[in-house]
Amino acid sequence: MVEFKIRRYDGEKSYWQSFEIPAKRGMTVLEALYYIKENYDSSLAFRASCRMGVCGSCAMKINDKPRLACETQVLMLGNAVKVEPLDNFRVIKDLITEFEGFFEKHKAVKPYLIRKDDVYAEPKELLQTPEELNEYYIFTLCIKCGACYSVCPAAATLDDYLGPAAMAAAYRFCADSRDEGQRERYRIVSSSNGVWRCHLAMECSEVCPKNVEPAKAVQLLRRKTAFSILKSLLGW
Amino acid sequence: MSVSGWFRFKGRSIFSWSFMFQRITGVVLLIYLIAHLTYLSSLFDRTGATYEGMIAITVSKQFLVFDILLVLCGVFHGINGFRIILHEFGIAYEYRKPLLAIFTVIAVAVWLYASYVMYSLTGG
Amino acid sequence: MEYDIVIVGAGIAGMRAAIAAAEKSRKLSVALIAKTYPIRCHSVCAEGGTAAVLREGDSFELHAWDTVKGSDFLADQDAVEFFVRECPVEIIRLENWGCPWSRNEDGTIAQRPFGGHSFNRATYAKDRTGLHEVHTLYERMLMYDNIEIFPEYFITNLAIENGAVQGVSAIKLKTGDMEFFEAKAVIFATGGAGRLYGFTTYSHQVTGDGLAIAYRNGIPLKDMEFFQFHPTGLIPSGILMTEGCRGEGGYLLNRNGERFMKNYAPEKMEIAPRDVVSRAMWTEIIEGRGFEGEYGPYIALDLRHLGEEKIEERLPLIRDAAIKFAGVDPVEEPIPVKPVAHYTMGGIDTNMRCETAVKGFFAAGECACVSIHGANRLGANSTAECLVFGRVAGEVAAEYALNAKPGKISAEFRQKEEKRIFDDLLGKSGDESPYQIKKELNETMDKNMWIFREENGLKEAVRKIRELKDRYRNVEINDRSRGFNTDLTSTIEIGYMLDLAEVVAIGALKRQESRGAHYRLDYPKRDDENWLKHTLAYYTPEGPKFDYKPVTITKWKPVERKY
Repeated sequence: MVEFKIRRYDGEKSYWQSFEIPAKRGMTVLEALYYIKENYDSSLAFRASCRMGVCGSCAMKINDKPRLACETQVLMLGNAVKVEPLDNFRVIKDLITEFEGFFEKHKAVKPYLIRKDDVYAEPKELLQTPEELNEYYIFTLCIKCGACYSVCPAAATLDDYLGPAAMAAAYRFCADSRDEGQRERYRIVSSSNGVWRCHLAMECSEVCPKNVEPAKAVQLLRRKTAFSILKSLLGW
Repeated sequence: MSVSGWFRFKGRSIFSWSFMFQRITGVVLLIYLIAHLTYLSSLFDRTGATYEGMIAITVSKQFLVFDILLVLCGVFHGINGFRIILHEFGIAYEYRKPLLAIFTVIAVAVWLYASYVMYSLTGG
Repeated sequence: MEYDIVIVGAGIAGMRAAIAAAEKSRKLSVALIAKTYPIRCHSVCAEGGTAAVLREGDSFELHAWDTVKGSDFLADQDAVEFFVRECPVEIIRLENWGCPWSRNEDGTIAQRPFGGHSFNRATYAKDRTGLHEVHTLYERMLMYDNIEIFPEYFITNLAIENGAVQGVSAIKLKTGDMEFFEAKAVIFATGGAGRLYGFTTYSHQVTGDGLAIAYRNGIPLKDMEFFQFHPTGLIPSGILMTEGCRGEGGYLLNRNGERFMKNYAPEKMEIAPRDVVSRAMWTEIIEGRGFEGEYGPYIALDLRHLGEEKIEERLPLIRDAAIKFAGVDPVEEPIPVKPVAHYTMGGIDTNMRCETAVKGFFAAGECACVSIHGANRLGANSTAECLVFGRVAGEVAAEYALNAKPGKISAEFRQKEEKRIFDDLLGKSGDESPYQIKKELNETMDKNMWIFREENGLKEAVRKIRELKDRYRNVEINDRSRGFNTDLTSTIEIGYMLDLAEVVAIGALKRQESRGAHYRLDYPKRDDENWLKHTLAYYTPEGPKFDYKPVTITKWKPVERKY
């Protein structure tokens, strides 16, 4: 039997609640949460969908580390499991946090391919070699789960900070050989709540469930942004 | 906006600890800088009497402990700073764990040497 | 709230429809409603690829023939012929929008072999095709000012008055309030109904909401008894092991270590269509030639001979999932798999223009049945269908909305809807747990409505479902709060699933033949004389009423389906 301590929130007050779960080998934290919901307390609220680590819904703090609940094995956590909502997000109810701001920041960096010859009616195949694909591919794996944002000290101390996920998305497009909108994006991220606020705590890369390495993306973005500014100052 | 968000350590990796110490040593060095400038500004009285008096207190065996701690802050902040500058240019990010270990070792080595020098200079 | 077009469901079909409608005219206001954030949709789970005729040596004729034969001749051939001609442009469009398709050495988009296709036409992005398509569509959608996204709105009903659609009602999950969206045109792209089953590849949220709502409003559901069972579902979670595993050369082995597919489909072996392979695997299991494991019997999916490099290049997600969720590294050991409920071939009855029986109401994607897939879907055709018919639905709805009257939801409807949900369902007391009902529903579906069906099992399923529907009238919802009441939404979902289960079970009971994914042990032969027709189910308070309509045949007369 494993004891689950969950930090709950009913809209007014926050409190801890404990449950005993009969854990089997292979049982994930998400399955345990469903077990609690279906057998003990059906008011437990949490986000979940794919249960295979691709949708990013179930990111939460499990034993002080943000992880995807669907990918975390209960028996690897010991006899006591602590489950809390992600830090740096406003809690709406129980383990559900406010993601509106997170997606707004993602939208703000123009995370789409920008090309001059964008013709909807008659698309033409663009060539891209496997090497060019590998330049940015790892950054396309971001599932927007929010784990990186929850451990970022810059995000914790500044509400407007773009955050690792948004900047990794910006870099993903800047490094895509088909993109022509780099200058626009550099202008957007080059601000005190953008790339310049990252001071390399690097915790985001440590917790990313998909090994996207957002800290690396932010540094590479800084380099590109800095050179771009330099070039424009020198009139190149 | 509170800065408590810089000092979270539960469940964090050594990179967060390094980040925290960089902040703390930075604040210490800032305070020291102000103190040091104030200290030096005592030379404006042209006699040097205040200055000599302060030197007698601070450059002594009893004060060594504070100096060693100060040098630790300075050395850590500087050498860790080099590591950060390297990564911020997008260099060697894949080797961040070994690099952290190496730079910490260098910092400790430099600090021990500096402490030894200060110790011998204060007649120990 | 008033919009020109309201799209319910933000998967590949829904987002593609939104983009198509917004492109058609920048003056149209489009609302995209979904019960989760768009990139959390079930479409991200798609793995293998999207089929399209792109290269020399392939032809539309061949793709259409593969699809029609794969459907066991139940697909409407005019729709299929239209569909195959639209796939290539969608692939290129996605590419232009940033999709990271896997490439050949020369930089052109790569394609790989896939089950049932006689040409290597599955365009893929490693083995995370769905993830990349969804993210590309979502990011593209952000460019349009006239699309407004409403995430975490749970749809409860369709408002139809005077024979035309007026809008939809939905619960805003964050506050728990009922919101009404008045619209000139409504598109449903709400996905299938896989969570009827216990062992399934589907996400938790795929509970057939749109299907049930359309059904309850008198719109017929077509061919619901056809559920696809994908051969390789990971044990014990049901997570999909893509068909690409077999496309790239994986073997299926029974406990004697033999590639048993040679006895069932000697030509295609492991890359025969899914219904053929699933039946083969299930036969091996029933006849005792499966491996024994702690979760029951299973078949081994062997990828070891592909080598680590190829697996990392072509199937990285599979390796990751097998290690994380089953503790098995495909480079070293075979993966334990067994057939799993995977796709809903049936859906809301639409024509080739995504129009339904109600004016202004359209449907696209898995929740619609055009029918492209007939009695069995070929792999890589579903994401293609969502893209093609998402676009069609968006454009047709936009055309309709440019000339239609604004929707108007009456005060009477609003009151009735609020009362139905908040007073009658949330407020009442009872002694049944909705989760217990769902558990029993899953058990009976897994047992009686699986790959091999027969009369007694089906009759038992119908009886049990009717009993569960009765008991559902007595459910009590424990969580009485308003904000983010997942207890309420889960219970409503279970209600949807019960209605759909009844349609599926009775439809299967009535269809006395075996075709595609629907296999009856008591009627094992395909009966083209009596059953070359689509099943239509209409809602009545006593249960579904059935009617039938003929299949459109243009080029290919039904022949024996051998692989």
